[in-house]
Amino acid sequence: MDLANRQKFTEVIFENIRDGVLIIDRNYRILAVNNSVGKWTEKPVAELMDKDCMEVFHNNSLICPHCAAEVTFKTGEVNVVTQKISREGATHYAELSVYPVKQNAEEVAECVVFIQDITDRMLCHNEVLRLYNEVAQTKEYLEGIIENSADAIVTSDLNGIITSWNKGAERIYGFTKEDALGKYLPFVPEFLLDPEWEYNQRIRNGEVLRRIETFRKKHDGTIISVSLTLSPIKNAAGEVIGISGISRDISEKKNVEKELVRRNQELSRLFFISSAMRGTLELDRLLRMVLTAVTMGEGLGFNRAILFLVDEDRNLLKGAMGVGPASHDEAFHIWDSLSLERKTLPDIMHEIEVGPSKKDSFFDKLSQGIEIPLSEDTILAKAVKEKKLFTVDDVGSEPLSDILLIQQLGTQAYAVVPLISRDKVLGVLWVDNYFNRRPVTEEDMRFLSAFSNHVAAAIENARLFEQVKLTEQELENIFESISDMVYFVTEDYVVKNINKAVSLRLGKPPEEIIGKKCYEVFHGTKEPWTECPHQKTVQKRVAFVEEVEDPYMGGTFITSSSPIFDISGEFIGTVNVVSDITELKNLREKVIKTDRMAALGEVAARVAHEIRNPLVSLGGFARRLEKKLEGNMKEYADIIAKEVGRLEGILNEILSFVKDTRIIKETVDANKLVDEVVALIESEIDDKQILIIKELGNPVDIFVDPNRIKDAFFNILKNALQAVDNNGTVSVKTYAKNSTCVFEFKDSGAGIAEADLPFIFDPFFTTKKAGTGLGLTITHRIIEEHGGSIEVESKLGAGSTFRVLIPVSDQ
Amino acid sequence: MKILIVDDDLHIQRLYKEEFEDEGYEVVVASNGQEAIEMFEKESPDIVTLDILLPDIDGIRVLRQMKEKNPKIPVIMSTAYDYRDDFAVWASEAYIVKSSDLDELKIMIKKLLTKQ
Repeated sequence: MDLANRQKFTEVIFENIRDGVLIIDRNYRILAVNNSVGKWTEKPVAELMDKDCMEVFHNNSLICPHCAAEVTFKTGEVNVVTQKISREGATHYAELSVYPVKQNAEEVAECVVFIQDITDRMLCHNEVLRLYNEVAQTKEYLEGIIENSADAIVTSDLNGIITSWNKGAERIYGFTKEDALGKYLPFVPEFLLDPEWEYNQRIRNGEVLRRIETFRKKHDGTIISVSLTLSPIKNAAGEVIGISGISRDISEKKNVEKELVRRNQELSRLFFISSAMRGTLELDRLLRMVLTAVTMGEGLGFNRAILFLVDEDRNLLKGAMGVGPASHDEAFHIWDSLSLERKTLPDIMHEIEVGPSKKDSFFDKLSQGIEIPLSEDTILAKAVKEKKLFTVDDVGSEPLSDILLIQQLGTQAYAVVPLISRDKVLGVLWVDNYFNRRPVTEEDMRFLSAFSNHVAAAIENARLFEQVKLTEQELENIFESISDMVYFVTEDYVVKNINKAVSLRLGKPPEEIIGKKCYEVFHGTKEPWTECPHQKTVQKRVAFVEEVEDPYMGGTFITSSSPIFDISGEFIGTVNVVSDITELKNLREKVIKTDRMAALGEVAARVAHEIRNPLVSLGGFARRLEKKLEGNMKEYADIIAKEVGRLEGILNEILSFVKDTRIIKETVDANKLVDEVVALIESEIDDKQILIIKELGNPVDIFVDPNRIKDAFFNILKNALQAVDNNGTVSVKTYAKNSTCVFEFKDSGAGIAEADLPFIFDPFFTTKKAGTGLGLTITHRIIEEHGGSIEVESKLGAGSTFRVLIPVSDQ
Repeated sequence: MKILIVDDDLHIQRLYKEEFEDEGYEVVVASNGQEAIEMFEKESPDIVTLDILLPDIDGIRVLRQMKEKNPKIPVIMSTAYDYRDDFAVWASEAYIVKSSDLDELKIMIKKLLTKQ
């Protein structure tokens, strides 16, 4: 290319390149300028020729080519500077590159300044810088996080060789960074290596595994639970080159969780079992429930359980009940069928509660035969004495193991927990896992111990209940069977409860008595009875015991009325115990009389016996003398014979009183009896000129021993005749009253003193100078023997009336 | 006619003996149960008065043995104490409470002997 062409070519380039080009001399005079400089100045480019560069640019706060050229003029070196200018609110960056043009190899005569708009580039660069800073910061932050994270953050290559190991990992797993790096998954327990490899495969496929719960092994070998998130590490090309794992120790959480679940289960089981137990007050069923709860999988899950109760009298523990299979076969059979039936604990409890009580299993029988003496030093005895639970892990190494249990149950390991209620050991609960050999864990024991408290309380309840039930039954029996009337009356006189005796005495079924007013029922009145002890008890709120003569009921009663208060102390009524003592009174009197007579009778009989023989010979010979003698002597003999006869009469009277003479009854007319008796005393009536008045009613048949009755009446009449003076009156009256025949003997005699009246029927009681005192006693006895009664009305000086009442014959 | 009087009271024995001999009876006496049974066999009385209270054997047993030996002979139980209800009339023909007045006994014996 020739020079001209070259010049031309250079000019084209000069004018058309996008960068501005300035050429300035040492005086900063602009020698040349191209079009592209135009965007950096406000003046047209054509006007810039020969202008002072400083004036054009520097003073107008534009880019400053001379500032950049100054260095090059001075140093002769290329100088590149970036200048920032603000124009019209926007920031622009210009890169000014100054190239020296040397005149004679040393002096820089001119400089060529290239001005490049690097605004875009600069903005981009700033962004990169910012990003870089950010990344750096994030990296730092992440590293901080990783390093300081509580979680273990570990990376490995695809083969499981550890490539990074943070502080968290050190802390959690116990391996230091140095220990871990370069090792093959040092924290994965052997038994998890296979599943871990599966994770590895999935991660190689780009999967992220989040929050896997698994186990890790610590440096010291302890296994811990971790929550693990595994992610692939990819290179720029998106290829998986490693694995990052973040893991967190959740053992604590797991434990808490487990504890919560266990507690929850325990509580719900306990709650259920104890509420089921509370509902059952029958001791037998209750014990079976307890043992079932102990042995069911859903319950405590022991293989066998026995409940021993303390027998205080014999100082031993006695097997009360046992639950468990008899043999391995049975055990597996039961477990099979149980899992098939899918019966829940509540179901089974319910079955026990309401179903027929079963008590015939082999193990049950075996258990009931076991007796553990408390005097010996064995685990069971200790559990009772020390009120502590015990676990025997191996009977071979426990010298205090209960030999009996080993011999009879074959147990090799067992646990026992005392059942304590109100500080008293009621018994012990014995459990073992004979069939599946599962060790008894601490948790088992904890639950067993919690359970035992409920059991003890329930047993105590059941026992109390049984006692109460028994007492109640006894009371009920007593209440029903006592012959006294017992009834409960409310404050407002309503009969609430009665026993059988009340119903019997009133002759009404209970329905007609209960709910009625007591005064209507017992006294036949419309108003409360004024003499009623119940009324007094209601007023005074204390018990009253009184003997009451009740005309409505007809008899004498001892009534005790006691106030009853409810739990809150409120008075609610009275309990009344009423004994009908009418009969008792009669009986008592009879007994007294009989006793007295028996005693008297024996003496009298013996005396009479000893007297009779001498009297017989005395009298007999006197009679013989009388026959043979004459005059005074004959008379004397006669006197002896007569006196003896009188003595014999007295003796006979005494003896006939003492003797139980058989009565021979027949049906006779009452009036005829009276006639016959009166005939017996006729001679005496005539002697004393006594007026006898007979008022005989309609003929009535009575079924009596006529001779005995005549004896009875004779004695009354004889007394009457003796009582009346000459010209006195004796009247005899007969009449029927209700179903009795009344014989009334009335005299106008001296009467009987009030003080004597109660004794007139007593043996040997007499006011007469001559007499045995047996006449009225015999009368009384004869009347009694006939089921009749005798009444006396008498007043001193006003005569006496004897009324004999004899039941009218049924025939 | 022969009467066997059984009574441990010697005065009564004598009284009865004299009275009944006066009446024309032949009288033999026994003072205890053993003797009474021997006399009953040996003397073959037509009638017997037998005291219940005897020193050796109870009068009731004596009565039974007599009746076993010869039930046809009437026996009158005679006693100081009224045992009527306790023994009823039992196997004896009659029962009498001893009395100084022997009329009742005499009538009873006469009646029993004429019955035969």
